[in-house]
Amino acid sequence: MAAIDKHAGSARIVPLTREHDDYLHDESRSHGEAESISFPTTEGEIRAVLRALHAAGTPVTVQGARTGLAAGAVPHGGHVLNLSRMNRVLGMRRDDAGAYFARVQPGVILSELRKNLHARSFATEGWDDASLQALRALADAPEQIFPTDPTEASACLGGMAACNASGARSYAHGAMRQHVNALRLVLATGDVLALRRGEQRACGRHLTLVTEGGTTLEVELPAYEMPACKNASGYFVEDDMDAIDLVIGSDGTLGVISELELALVPAPAVTWDVSCFFTVEHDALDATVAMRHELGCAAAIEYFDGAALDVLRRQRAESTAFSSLVEPPADAACCVYVELQCASEDEALAELARLGALLERAGGSAEHTWVARTELDREALTFFRHAVPESVNMLIDERRRIDPAITKLGSDMAVPNERLHEVMDLYRTTISEAGLEAAAWGHIGNNHLHVNILPRSAAEYAAGKELFARWARAVTDMGGAVSAEHGVGKLKRDFLEIMYGYQALAEMARVKLVFDPRGQLGRGNLFDEELLDSLRQAGALDGDAEKGGA
Amino acid sequence: MHIVVCVKAVPASTEVKMDPVTNTIVRDGGDAVVNPFDASALELALRLREERRAAGEDVRVSVLSMGIPATERLLRDCIARGATDALLLSDRAFAGADTLATTHALTCGMCELGMPDLVLCGKMAVDGDTAQIGPELAGALDMACVADVRTLMACANDAVTVRAGGDAGVSLVEATLPCVLTVAKEAATLRMPSIAGVLAAEHATVDVRGAAEVGADAARIGLAGSPTQVVRSFVPEQQAAGVEVSGDAIGQARQLVRIIGEVA
Ligand SMILES: Cc1cc2nc3c(=O)[nH]c(=O)nc-3n(C[C@H](O)[C@H](O)[C@H](O)COP(=O)(O)OP(=O)(O)OC[C@H]3O[C@@H](n4cnc5c(N)ncnc54)[C@H](O)[C@@H]3O)c2cc1C
Repeated sequence: MAAIDKHAGSARIVPLTREHDDYLHDESRSHGEAESISFPTTEGEIRAVLRALHAAGTPVTVQGARTGLAAGAVPHGGHVLNLSRMNRVLGMRRDDAGAYFARVQPGVILSELRKNLHARSFATEGWDDASLQALRALADAPEQIFPTDPTEASACLGGMAACNASGARSYAHGAMRQHVNALRLVLATGDVLALRRGEQRACGRHLTLVTEGGTTLEVELPAYEMPACKNASGYFVEDDMDAIDLVIGSDGTLGVISELELALVPAPAVTWDVSCFFTVEHDALDATVAMRHELGCAAAIEYFDGAALDVLRRQRAESTAFSSLVEPPADAACCVYVELQCASEDEALAELARLGALLERAGGSAEHTWVARTELDREALTFFRHAVPESVNMLIDERRRIDPAITKLGSDMAVPNERLHEVMDLYRTTISEAGLEAAAWGHIGNNHLHVNILPRSAAEYAAGKELFARWARAVTDMGGAVSAEHGVGKLKRDFLEIMYGYQALAEMARVKLVFDPRGQLGRGNLFDEELLDSLRQAGALDGDAEKGGA
Repeated sequence: MHIVVCVKAVPASTEVKMDPVTNTIVRDGGDAVVNPFDASALELALRLREERRAAGEDVRVSVLSMGIPATERLLRDCIARGATDALLLSDRAFAGADTLATTHALTCGMCELGMPDLVLCGKMAVDGDTAQIGPELAGALDMACVADVRTLMACANDAVTVRAGGDAGVSLVEATLPCVLTVAKEAATLRMPSIAGVLAAEHATVDVRGAAEVGADAARIGLAGSPTQVVRSFVPEQQAAGVEVSGDAIGQARQLVRIIGEVA
């Protein structure tokens, strides 16, 4: 390790010791290893760290808040570049149309940004005049929000951009991609690429980019077509694409996002959350399809199946921390949760009437619903929704104590709208054939459910993994995506190959090597390290790497 | 059976701020909500109705409030959650009422609604914290009163059995009807309304009456009817400065033991 214990600006690269154990895993609960770690606080420090590591070609894993579920931030040797101390909001902008933008460091935690926006109060030290002026204008403007909500509010914005996070409200607001207006990307050499939406476009599938250091990157974009559904599987590519979209969702493999400009949107005047209970799953699917057609203000359409509700019921009964959970009705077999964002109460009432009527038609009932209109009720439903993944994680942890081979097995696949019933059929039939226990929840409005296998033994865990591979093939055949929001990271690599094929993976890897010639960044994310190394050795693109670079 | 639940609109913010100059509660423009203790009382009433309905009896749950006209919205929400009807006492003449004047107004409201078999109040309101309305109502209506009800065990036609808190712990109490119960927050969590409930409540009438309409005695309501004088209200100042414990772990532990010894 060439650079251990040397100063890199003021961000020291220090040996990774036992006190840093936390930095070897993320929420996917997989563990990695690394030799050194740094905690830069500025872009300059990121650059210095990367420059120091580039000469030796040391692998670098970028970390945000480590809430990722695909092990993207879990190191595969080398250095951990942790951005949690890059947590400042750097400024604000108001454009001529009155839209607001926040400029943030990548380690800003989503919940903190939300708090700042709600209070319209920021630590403004170092802000320029234009930013201060925008902040003054914000004081009298309608409340602004950042709409991406990946459930886990302790995620940071750099991490969310790196895996194109989305979550419930992406039904109406789209994924992270739609709300990143500009970003700065530090390359493995320490050079910087500044990208702003609308300013650097591909010509067909070819992209030419010039770094601030004056280096030209010629990028041959892969030839694959992306699925027509929610998608966070591999690089975003399409004809004449905006260069910024290549970086968003790149899972820390192209460079380190050191700054983001986020597009804010006005807060909806009225937000009501409605939980609709059903006794038959098929009815819930029919209702979902009807909601898509008939509701004009739905920001989120979410689902909790019977097993997920049972996990909650058990958790509520057994754990005091969860005893204040609202109790799902005894006869409820599943629940569709709708968030309505409306311009007025009248509009919300009209929407509620439509929702009630369509529920009755679909086999549900306007009676078997919870309408949360007050802050208190909405908080209760938020707790309810968050308690589902949390409780399942706790259940898995419990089983893991009995058999350490058991870990979390959660799917993240999406299909086009017309395939919803088909994919649910697939899940139900194959789970029951395999005799596995599973709980499903997630973003049914986007035909995107997290089906979680709850293995009781190592054998069941293996069977669950096999099932996932089978689903990946079937979902690909349906024109779907193997990862819709968590990113591919290290855990869903094999699925990416199933989805796009080896040739496409090689094309993606070549893109990576243009940005990162030594294959240092996010090793193990998206591609097998062997694929990367063999491409490098074949000298496919790498003129620079073997010469010693920076 | 007729149950009346008394509800009060309180500021949504849990942190009540006092104006040090005027000695009044600072309403920081946050939305008003139903006092959380009253919400628990309403839930108890709705459960009681469900139980008795299952046994074939019809139970009327009325909500009653004295407040500004905007309180109507909260009462409509109570109807959405299952209350049968609502009465809002709203009049400038009611303004500035202390608990005694409020009690008189609520008693008039009760006459207007029809005398109840059971009156449920929150144990206290989160903004005023007096816990006086329930017992005062019982006095005015000449009913028994059980305060700080934690569990409603059973309710028959002529009596109700509850577990209630007190200085000495929790006691099991039976009271004959009609009576007043004041309800602790932990007694129940108010249910959410259904879509059907919300839509139906939009068409329901919330009766709004002024002081004269309910026959209130002008000398016994509002500021004029309030013997309570708030001379000063203040947040108790912190009594002692903090002590910093420093040094190594063992040294700190020793200091802590000494401090605890001094206090105990
Ligand atoms: C309970 C729970 C529920 C969740 N629900 C959802 C959901 O509904 N929708 C959803 O989309 N996600 C969900 N997630 C996943 C998670 O919140 C997101 O994936 C999140 O966006 C990751 O952010 P992070 O800061 O924790 O990133 P990390 O986990 O630290 O990193 C994620 C990836 O991004 C890379 N990265 C991080 N920062 C940078 C940077 N500055 N530059 C370049 N690369 C970087 C890392 O190398 C890694 O590959 C959930 C997670 C949990 C724990």
